[in-house]
Amino acid sequence: MTESMIILFAGVFLPLFPMSMIFNAVLDNIKQPWLKVVLFIAWPLCGLFIVSFSGVAIPDWVIALALFTSILYALRMLSLREVNQWNGFLATSLWSLLWLAAITDTPEMLLYGYALSMTVPLVLLVMLSAGLEKRFGAAYTGLYGGLARTIPRFSGVLVTVIVAAIATPLFPTFFIMFDLVVETVSIMPMAAMALLLIWLLWSWAGTRVIQGLIVGRASNVKIADFGIPIIGFYSIVLLGLAVAGIYMARVIL
Amino acid sequence: MNMEQLIIVVAVLPIFSALLIQLFSKRIGRGAARLSVVMTTLGFLLSSLLLAWALTGHAPQALSLGDSSAIMLFDPLGTLLATIILGISLIVHLYSVRYMAEEAAYGQFFVLLDLMTAALLFMVVAGDLITLVIAWYLVGVLLYFLLGQDTRSQTAYRFAFWTLITYRIGDLPLILAAALLYNAYDTWSLTFIFNEIMANPHAHQILGFSLTQVVAALVGLAAFARSAQFLLHTWLPYTMDGPTPVSALMHAGIVNAGGFLINRFAPVFVNGGDVLNWVFVVGLVTAIFGSLLMLTQNDIKKALGYSTMGQMGFMIMECGIGAFSLAIYHMFAHGVFKGTMFLSAGGVINSARQDDGIPKDELYTFAVEKQPKKARKPWVLMAAITLAVPLVILVFAHLLIAEDYFQKQGAVILLFFGWVTGAQLIFATYRMRSQNIWRMVGLSVLSLVIVVLGYVFISHAFDLFLYPDAAFRAQLYTTASIDILRFDVLVVITTLIIVSGWFITYYNEQSGYRQRQQSKRLWLNFYALISREFYIIDIYTRLTRTLLAISSRLNVWLRWL
Repeated sequence: MTESMIILFAGVFLPLFPMSMIFNAVLDNIKQPWLKVVLFIAWPLCGLFIVSFSGVAIPDWVIALALFTSILYALRMLSLREVNQWNGFLATSLWSLLWLAAITDTPEMLLYGYALSMTVPLVLLVMLSAGLEKRFGAAYTGLYGGLARTIPRFSGVLVTVIVAAIATPLFPTFFIMFDLVVETVSIMPMAAMALLLIWLLWSWAGTRVIQGLIVGRASNVKIADFGIPIIGFYSIVLLGLAVAGIYMARVIL
Repeated sequence: MNMEQLIIVVAVLPIFSALLIQLFSKRIGRGAARLSVVMTTLGFLLSSLLLAWALTGHAPQALSLGDSSAIMLFDPLGTLLATIILGISLIVHLYSVRYMAEEAAYGQFFVLLDLMTAALLFMVVAGDLITLVIAWYLVGVLLYFLLGQDTRSQTAYRFAFWTLITYRIGDLPLILAAALLYNAYDTWSLTFIFNEIMANPHAHQILGFSLTQVVAALVGLAAFARSAQFLLHTWLPYTMDGPTPVSALMHAGIVNAGGFLINRFAPVFVNGGDVLNWVFVVGLVTAIFGSLLMLTQNDIKKALGYSTMGQMGFMIMECGIGAFSLAIYHMFAHGVFKGTMFLSAGGVINSARQDDGIPKDELYTFAVEKQPKKARKPWVLMAAITLAVPLVILVFAHLLIAEDYFQKQGAVILLFFGWVTGAQLIFATYRMRSQNIWRMVGLSVLSLVIVVLGYVFISHAFDLFLYPDAAFRAQLYTTASIDILRFDVLVVITTLIIVSGWFITYYNEQSGYRQRQQSKRLWLNFYALISREFYIIDIYTRLTRTLLAISSRLNVWLRWL
């Protein structure tokens, strides 16, 4: 297999457009939340494994294509209203940046750390989106709204998870993005500019989802909110993620 | 407790308060507000102690947090601003105790308020680029949620989003600047980087430009977005759907962060070539547009919003002329003044519903009843006052402050600006046709003297505290100076505008205020342009819709995969 073929194959898992569409097609066809969780965790790790196992040299066109993929999906996220689909697009946009991390002098184990810490908020979002489907029949922004009043604990967790996913301090994705900008700004200034644009689009898309779900009047129908144990679980995971972010900052910056 | 421990306590108190409220809000209920107030009061008292310590001439303290690269820098700028932030935050806390009592998420509001106080504190005492970027970023995120406190209001969230996206646009240049500085100097420490820049300002290049100049421009852009400079200002007047205490905090504190950032990066700006001149131009344009738009608003809070925009323009302009410490004084004075206005706006509206409370004096008959009457003093006398007062002040400043005060372009621009404002005031007084014209003129002249002399003296005091190095101060003014010929031309143009204003008044009086049809139409068109706020919001809305349409179209073409 030639190097290009390996890269194209890896491009299915570390998304490169148009192979990136495969992940979103698979995600679209999976209904069980636990299977989605497995898919989210395994997919980028497979990509990193292929790249590191094959020892393939990453050519410049891959970096350009990875940035294009990330921008494309970040831009497309702006008009998405289905939370699962939005999550898939965010994953595509995030994971394609691992190509950029792979060409810098980031140690291999740290790359896996990047992939996992980027994915944890997405996994939480899979679970929350399943929770929305269970309660409302669909995880769709602008359809019901008012979650902050109807199920305040659930929406508190939802907002924090989205904030963590779109690279906000002190969560790991923020420091990964910061590190990527630091690594690229002198050698590839255009790549650094592209990274900042992607970051901005994530923030925009994230606030659109938050507003579409939590803002509005409370529902008249009584809907079950999270109990203390579930809140405790999410709080511990998110706190752990923030601690991991601070630790990561000390290691990479 | 030694000073180092005190510094850590001041920074950590608001976080501790937020954590306690979050964990025990169910148990303590309304006590959350009391807890938050007590913690903020304590923080304010301790930071005042630190300020007093700095005022007595103690050297700045830099504390490393563990073995990380995070540093807390308690220098005069950080200490002064920490005290101001905690002072304003305390007032907002006290006001919110009763104001927010009916809100559903009462405890959560105080958690956010405490976290915002902490983020602002860390921002001003950050001694390294990472802490600064994190705090800078978090201020925007927290403000978004504070403005969207009422989760039922779509409008509140719509405008909170405008704020967030503008702040994010401002975060990006700062991140880029931090990355460039780290690559060049291989450290995150601000003190180290600034020392290196002062020692060898143009040691590094990026894309053929001096790194110092590029970083100054990027930091300037970050400051523009945060301080609502022209074209990045639309969020400020529209974020009035948030709770009043948040508006007060935003207008009194958060929006001033641009002035702080430029001050923090003073060693970069002082070696940043023409960047300060551009900062001046942006500030000037913002001050003019902000003031123009403020005059045409019929909504009190929106008018206050545009007034803040104008003030921010003035603050940035002060940085642009090298009067960095004056910008900090302006920040403080405007913070107290605007915070008071916001917090009392509700009360004023409420009492105005009962009784307009306007005494039927000269101002009322002129402004409300439109009844010009009584005699007024001669045109020549008023025009002469306009010229004489600033001249007297200039001579005073020359004698009392510094021999070379006259020669500093920045100081002259500042006094010149005071003169322009004063001329406008005296001009308005002249048109009022008061019964007691001497009292009115006396008050106008007195305010002008207090404002300009106050600025001169306070600016000098702040200069000595924030920038004790006289050579650095001189360098700031020198960097901000422009070519003497261009400077003189600009002064002459502005003088001509004011003088021609007096001549037009004279001409109108002689011709009995007959307006030509053509000038009437021109005036109406101009008014329409201002009332549409120069169509800037319409343009942004169109651009946003276009981008969303492109996003939708792409999704359809690519089958949502």
